[in-house]
Amino acid sequence: MEVLKELDRVYLDYNSTAPLADFLGDKVQNWLKYWGNPSATYQKAREARSCVWTAREQLARFIHARPLEVVFTSGGSESNNQAIKGLAEKFRNSSRNKIITSSVEHPSVKSVCEWVRDHYGFQLEVIPVLKSGHLDLEKYEKALDDRTAFVSIMYVNNETGCIFPIQKLAELSHKAGALFHSDAIQALGKIPVDAERLNVDLLSLSGHKFYSLKGAGALYVKKGLSLESLIHGGPQERKRRAGTENVLAICAFGAVAEKGEEVLKQNQEITQWRDQLESIVEKSIQGVRFIGKNHPRVGTCSSIMIDGVFAETVMMNLDLKGYSVSVSSACHSGSIAPSAVLLGMGYSPSEAKCVLRVSFGVGIEWESLKKFADVLKEIVDRLRSLEGQQ
Amino acid sequence: MKRVLVAMSGGVDSSVAAALLVDQGYDVVGVTMQVWDYSEKDCEQGFGTCCSSVDVEDARRVAQMLSIPFYVINCESEFKEKVIDPFMDSYQKGETPIPCLNCNTHLKFHYLVQKMKELECDFLATGHYAKVENKNGKWKIYQSEDSWKDQTYFLFTTPVTLLPKLLFPVGGMDKAIVRRIAEEKKLPVFDKKDSTGLCFIGKSGYVKFIDRYQEKEKKGELKLYPSGEVLGFHTGIHQFTYGQRKRLGISYKHPLYVIKIDPSSQAVWLGEEHFLYKHQVEVKDLHWLDTVLPGERLKVKIRFGHQAQWARVYPKNAYCFIEFEEPQRALTPGQSAVIYRKNQLIGGGSICGLHD
Repeated sequence: MEVLKELDRVYLDYNSTAPLADFLGDKVQNWLKYWGNPSATYQKAREARSCVWTAREQLARFIHARPLEVVFTSGGSESNNQAIKGLAEKFRNSSRNKIITSSVEHPSVKSVCEWVRDHYGFQLEVIPVLKSGHLDLEKYEKALDDRTAFVSIMYVNNETGCIFPIQKLAELSHKAGALFHSDAIQALGKIPVDAERLNVDLLSLSGHKFYSLKGAGALYVKKGLSLESLIHGGPQERKRRAGTENVLAICAFGAVAEKGEEVLKQNQEITQWRDQLESIVEKSIQGVRFIGKNHPRVGTCSSIMIDGVFAETVMMNLDLKGYSVSVSSACHSGSIAPSAVLLGMGYSPSEAKCVLRVSFGVGIEWESLKKFADVLKEIVDRLRSLEGQQ
Repeated sequence: MKRVLVAMSGGVDSSVAAALLVDQGYDVVGVTMQVWDYSEKDCEQGFGTCCSSVDVEDARRVAQMLSIPFYVINCESEFKEKVIDPFMDSYQKGETPIPCLNCNTHLKFHYLVQKMKELECDFLATGHYAKVENKNGKWKIYQSEDSWKDQTYFLFTTPVTLLPKLLFPVGGMDKAIVRRIAEEKKLPVFDKKDSTGLCFIGKSGYVKFIDRYQEKEKKGELKLYPSGEVLGFHTGIHQFTYGQRKRLGISYKHPLYVIKIDPSSQAVWLGEEHFLYKHQVEVKDLHWLDTVLPGERLKVKIRFGHQAQWARVYPKNAYCFIEFEEPQRALTPGQSAVIYRKNQLIGGGSICGLHD
C-alpha cells in the first residue's frame, strides 16, 4: 500500500493521524455516488447499506471477528466512550462497582473512567505503569476481585508504543468475572489485532490512525454482550449506535482493512529503521533515552527523552525545518502541558517536558529518518549551546 | 532572509505588525503566550481582553491567513510567578501594582527573547506603540506618534542591549491607520475592540479576583486624615487605591478620598482631596535607557494615561528623587514614575516614598 505524500515536508506524527492511503483517492470518487441513506428501503439506500456491510465484513475479517460484532462509530473517542459508559450503565447499582484501568490511558478512556466514577459512584483503581513501560501486573492481579465490574486497558500506548499483554490481562479479568475493554486504536495495522485470540469483550478502533478518513471508528462488541447505546435515536447498527452512517468514511475504513495484512507487513519491516534511527540518535546526541525501549513496542514509534532540552522547543525548530513531530497528547488551545502518559509512568514533569514523540509507518523512507536524525542533532546542539535554556 | 519572532496577542496591533513584517520580506514566525488557564475558571469572562482563549484563536487565524508558522507557548507558570503572585503581594502591601509592566519585563522581553534565540530568529517584534531608533550609534526608545496609545510607559525595563533586536512595526503609526491597514488586509480582527483592563481579570473586577485567591480576609480601620478618627472598617486594603473616592463604604459630611494606605496597621486613611497633592516622590527599582544629569529638568509620567509633567530628577544610587514643578495628584506606591527627555524614554522606577 502507498500513502499520499507531502513533497517538501517529512511527516513523523502517524500516532496522531496517519497519512491517507493513496488508493483511496479513486475509490472515494466512486463512493461519492453512494449518498443514499442506508436506513431506507429503495435502491439508492440499499446500495449505501451494502457498502457499509462490505466495510463491516472487511474490518471483521481483519480483526478476526464476526461482522455483527463490529459497530461503526464516529471515531476512537466515541468507541471508548461507548464502551466505558455502556459497561458502567450495565453494572450501575450492581455489587460489582469497581473499574480497573491503567495510568497511561488516552484521555478518551481516562476522563470517561473518571466521569463514571464521579457520576455513577464507581470505585476507580488505576494500575501504575512503571518507567520501563511495564504494567504492574502484581497490582493488577491484586485489584481484580468479585467487586470488579470491568477493566479498560489499552493495547498499545499512543506515546511510547509499548504493547500491553492484553490476552493475559483479559484472561485474568475474566477469571475474576469481570469484563474487559481494550483501546486498540494505536495497535491496528502495527501488530495483529485478533479479537478472537485476545478474547476481549470490547475493542476500540479508529479509521484515521489507520490510513483512512477521519469520521469513522469502530467498536468490537463480543457476541452476546449488549450495551446501552451512547447515542439514542434511530435503529442503526442494530440499535447499538443511532445516527445516519458516515458511509464514505466507513467504506474507506473497510477498504484499508482489506489491505490490513499488507499494512502489517510494511509496518513490521519498518521496525529495523526505528532501531537504526535510535542507534544513530543515541550515538550523536549526549543524554538521550528512549522510553519503553526494553519493553515490547510497536516498531513505528520512538519516544525520545533528551536531557535538559525542552521537547516543545525542539518540535518548533523541527517544524520550521520541515519535520512534523509531536510532543505530548495533552494540550490547551494548542499549547502544551506535560504528558499525562509520562507522568503516569512516574516521570517528573520536567523529565516529561523533554520527551519528543516520533511516529511513522507506511510511506516513510529511510532517507527521511536519517536526515531527521541529523537535523535533530543540529537543533539539540544549538539549543544546548544557548545560555538560559532550561 | 532575516527571521522575526512576532508576539501575537490576537489583537489588531500585533496582527498588523505580523502582516507588515511579512510584506517587508521577513521570514516571520508567530507566537502567542498562553498565560492564564481560562479553561478552568472565568471561561465566559476571559473573552475580549488581552490574552484570553478567543484571542489565541484569533492570533491563529491571522497567522494562517498570513501563511506563517504559529505556535502557542504555555507560560502559565512563568506568568503566575512573575505577574500574578507579585500582583497579589503588591496589593497586600498597600500598593497599586502594574502587572503589565512585569509581563513586559519578564515574559515579553525575557521569555520571548529566549524563544527568539531558540527558534533562530534575528529579531523579536511586538505590536507595541513605541519606536526604537539608532541615533548616532546609540539605540533609543521614543514615544509613539499616537500619544493616546503610546506604550513606552511599560517599556522602561527593556535592557538597552536588547534594543537592536526589537522591532515595533506599528510603533510609528496612529491607531486609526493600524486599523485601516487591518481592514485593507482583511485581517479577521480589524474591528476587534481595543483591549482594556487586565487580561487575567474578568468582569467581576480585581477585588473579587484577589478575594478568590487570598487565604483570609484582612480587616482594618478607615481613619480620617490627619486626625486619626476611626470612621469605619474595611475588609481588606486591596480594595483601595490612592485618590479613590467611590466605594469607600462610609458617608461623610464632605467628599473623602484615599490619602494613604498603611499595610503595617491595615489602616486606610481618608481625607480631603488637597492632601493628595504631593511635590516630591522617591522611586526605586530603577532602569535607565540613557544617562541623566543630576537635577536635570525632564518630563515624568506617574501612571499610564497621565500627561507627563515637568520635574527635576536626582538619581541617587538605588533610588531616584523626583521633584515636580507642580504638585501631582495621587502619586501611588506600586505605580511607575517614567522619565522622558522630549519624546525619548530615559528610564523609570517604582514609586515608593511620597513627600509634600
